[in-house]
Amino acid sequence: MNIKTLNLFLLSFLFLLIISCDSKKSVSENRIVIGIAADVQSFNSLFAFSYEESAIAELLYPSLLDFRWNDKKGELEPYPMIAKSWQWAEDSLSIRFLIRDDILWSDGNKLTASDVVFSYDVFSDPDVQSRLYGIFNQLFTESDGHIDIEKTFNVISPYEFEMHFPESSVPDLVKIVVPVIPEHIFKDISRDQLANHESNFNPVSSGAFKFKKWNKNQTIILEADSNSFLFTYGQTAELVFKIVPDYTSRILQLKKGDIDLLELVKVEDVEELKAEKSLTVVSSIGREYDYVGWNNVDPNEPSKPHKLFENSNVRKALSMVINRKEILEEYLSGQGDLAASPVSPIFKSAFNEKVLPYEFIPDEARKLLFREGWKDEDRNGILEKGKTEFKFTMYYPVGNPLREYASVVIKNNLKSIGIEVTTEKMELGAFINNLYERKLDSWMAGFGVVIPLDLKPYWYSDPNIGFLNFSGYINPDIDNILDKLESRISLEEKNKLIKEFQEIIHKDEPVTFLYWTPNIIVYNTRIKNLKITPHGVLVHCWEWTIN
Amino acid sequence: MKSEIVKTLLTRILSSLLTLFLLVSFLFIIIRLSPGDPTDKYISAKLGSELSERIAEKFSLNQPVTDQYLSFVANAFSGDMGVSYNYRLPVFEVIWEYFSFTLVFASISFILQMYLSIWLALWVIKKRKKWLDKFVTNSSLFIYSIPAFVLGVALIYIFSVNLNLFPISGMKSLDYDDLSFFSQVLNKIHHLVLPLITLTAAGVALFYKYIKESMDDVLNQTFIINLRSSGVNENIILRKHVIPNALRPLISVAGVELGILLGGALITEVIFSLPGMGRLTVDSIFSRDYPLVIGCVFTAGAVMILANFLADIIKLKIDKRLVKGILN
Repeated sequence: MNIKTLNLFLLSFLFLLIISCDSKKSVSENRIVIGIAADVQSFNSLFAFSYEESAIAELLYPSLLDFRWNDKKGELEPYPMIAKSWQWAEDSLSIRFLIRDDILWSDGNKLTASDVVFSYDVFSDPDVQSRLYGIFNQLFTESDGHIDIEKTFNVISPYEFEMHFPESSVPDLVKIVVPVIPEHIFKDISRDQLANHESNFNPVSSGAFKFKKWNKNQTIILEADSNSFLFTYGQTAELVFKIVPDYTSRILQLKKGDIDLLELVKVEDVEELKAEKSLTVVSSIGREYDYVGWNNVDPNEPSKPHKLFENSNVRKALSMVINRKEILEEYLSGQGDLAASPVSPIFKSAFNEKVLPYEFIPDEARKLLFREGWKDEDRNGILEKGKTEFKFTMYYPVGNPLREYASVVIKNNLKSIGIEVTTEKMELGAFINNLYERKLDSWMAGFGVVIPLDLKPYWYSDPNIGFLNFSGYINPDIDNILDKLESRISLEEKNKLIKEFQEIIHKDEPVTFLYWTPNIIVYNTRIKNLKITPHGVLVHCWEWTIN
Repeated sequence: MKSEIVKTLLTRILSSLLTLFLLVSFLFIIIRLSPGDPTDKYISAKLGSELSERIAEKFSLNQPVTDQYLSFVANAFSGDMGVSYNYRLPVFEVIWEYFSFTLVFASISFILQMYLSIWLALWVIKKRKKWLDKFVTNSSLFIYSIPAFVLGVALIYIFSVNLNLFPISGMKSLDYDDLSFFSQVLNKIHHLVLPLITLTAAGVALFYKYIKESMDDVLNQTFIINLRSSGVNENIILRKHVIPNALRPLISVAGVELGILLGGALITEVIFSLPGMGRLTVDSIFSRDYPLVIGCVFTAGAVMILANFLADIIKLKIDKRLVKGILN
């Protein structure tokens, strides 16, 4: 075959290829395609560490109870799921669950109370190292965190059981309910081998969708399980998770209709996507905030206060001179809200509306610093107090353009009142290590907000309990409130205490709260009945329908 | 001559092994120098206590640094780079799964690069038009200077979004399982056209430059003028005399290029969502799966060494005079 013939053959083949392949949208009408950035490593709820893994695992393995977001109250409310009813004992030391007797695993076996007890046993087993290991401190546990099954559970019948709690505990349903996994599949597998077992990749589930196919690093396909107790007529036939690591490619596929739903869309794409008639753009705010951390203690001698940031007036002055509104408007195009405390406005009953973010008032900041003794006596443009000049390094992790932009604004803002800041990027792993070791003077980072609200790890003074209190903030009043929040008190009292907490934090300003960053979700208008709440996007996706 | 060839081969194998040893040593130093606790580069809470203990023992993590180094080298050469945090599987087991795709994808691209560049060079030479020569040379320089991420996105925008001719990403369509065998093959090829163009374009431009210059040199040599004056057909001169003589410099570059391709087409695989080594490397970096990052870097280095070794062997096969050159 000569070169000319070979070329002709190749060209003809390419032409044939183009005309023979259906270039129209190949997505079935009754299928929803969700774009995700990374593949999963397991379908087992025990090891669903990433966001994508837990979203899929929650669909495959429903929990005892269903939690729905009450937007008016700003809290999760329990509804029946695997349990059809539940009854607290009068002393609140036990709860009796009655579970449905019509739930089938996708392999046809029945789900019973034994599966539920087994799930608690495995989730809390230290040999398993599940994603929920260590959270069962409100139940009877052994010294290694493993739940004492005999003390905690009393199985009355295959569909009825009691859960008991120690006297000192304050059980919260949201915190103690776990996904139910099938005992008959996992019981014979050695606990330390569970993570690698092949059953993790071919899950036997009980949710509205069951596993259909996994093309590694390409697609994960779930199909409606008509035998599931959650199955509803008109439910989407297939849910496809399409793995597309490149952001631009995800956006193009969303516009083309190859992807139906995408989370974490960048602000700069919002206007263009809004112009597309087939797409709906929704912004969800309140699950994440950015802040500038000021180390309240000396990184070299933690028993001593920090020479720059020990004083709350100084920290307040720093907050007053950072133009957060400018960052919000310029970079986030107004998407997002200014933050005043770590309590998100989504918790409507607990949120203190009187606590407002510090305004951008550089003159007031100058006065505050002057009152605290910070003056530019040597006229070199930098404030000093005695021999200490007001200069420091602010670190932030690489790979976040918003923080990169904000660091420039913050540096310039502080420079304008005589504070010299050097900004430095740091590899995320090293950055986190430094935060845990409290080695940094100042940093910019973000925190996710857990539901239900949990403030103790972030603000308690004891570093063993407040292990995320990177700024070393100490206030006995705050400790007292956080302790009280864990005692048996009414919801009203709890909300009152959280409001008081916000006032104290605002007064002390241990860090500068910047803004609540948005999660922008874009979906195809053909998806109906989709409700986006702070609880998540996919949580009740079996209720979605296709137009 | 035979003994010289064997000696040459042995020398080349030894030098490749030495390079591999240096690569492993360099990796160990990088791990020690990178921020954070070096132990965290091998074990994580995700692996569970028993597995972590086994890895710590295997890599002598509780021993002095010299012991750790010796264990690391021994493990690397025995194909044990620890356990991936994310996959909870031995690193090389994970790599092999992704390497198989890269092997096929890179090989197709490599063959296309070689074929198209040689064909283009021959075509330009046959036409004997200066403007065409200049045009193709400048165009190839232009194509070579376009970064893969720009070319990839531009191709997607033109051929997928606007013309709707090719899919944006992935290896197969969602309805793949419902297709006949022939349609399945076509479907896969259909998905790989744009990634192959993205991966191949720069290589064609690079190879074209080498082969064209080399062919021009050969064409000006006396034996070609003699052949022409003897009335030998121009096609025969080109195929039997010019191409074999012009290939030598190309093979060295091709060895490096093949090594790069087999190490993973990082950007192309990410843009087009293809499950290859490049994407695995990127994913492991972003998820800080250190054992996998180390394994990917080691594999990329090892295939580069292997590709260069193969290129040397091919050169030897083509030109026996090189035996002495390599020995020296």
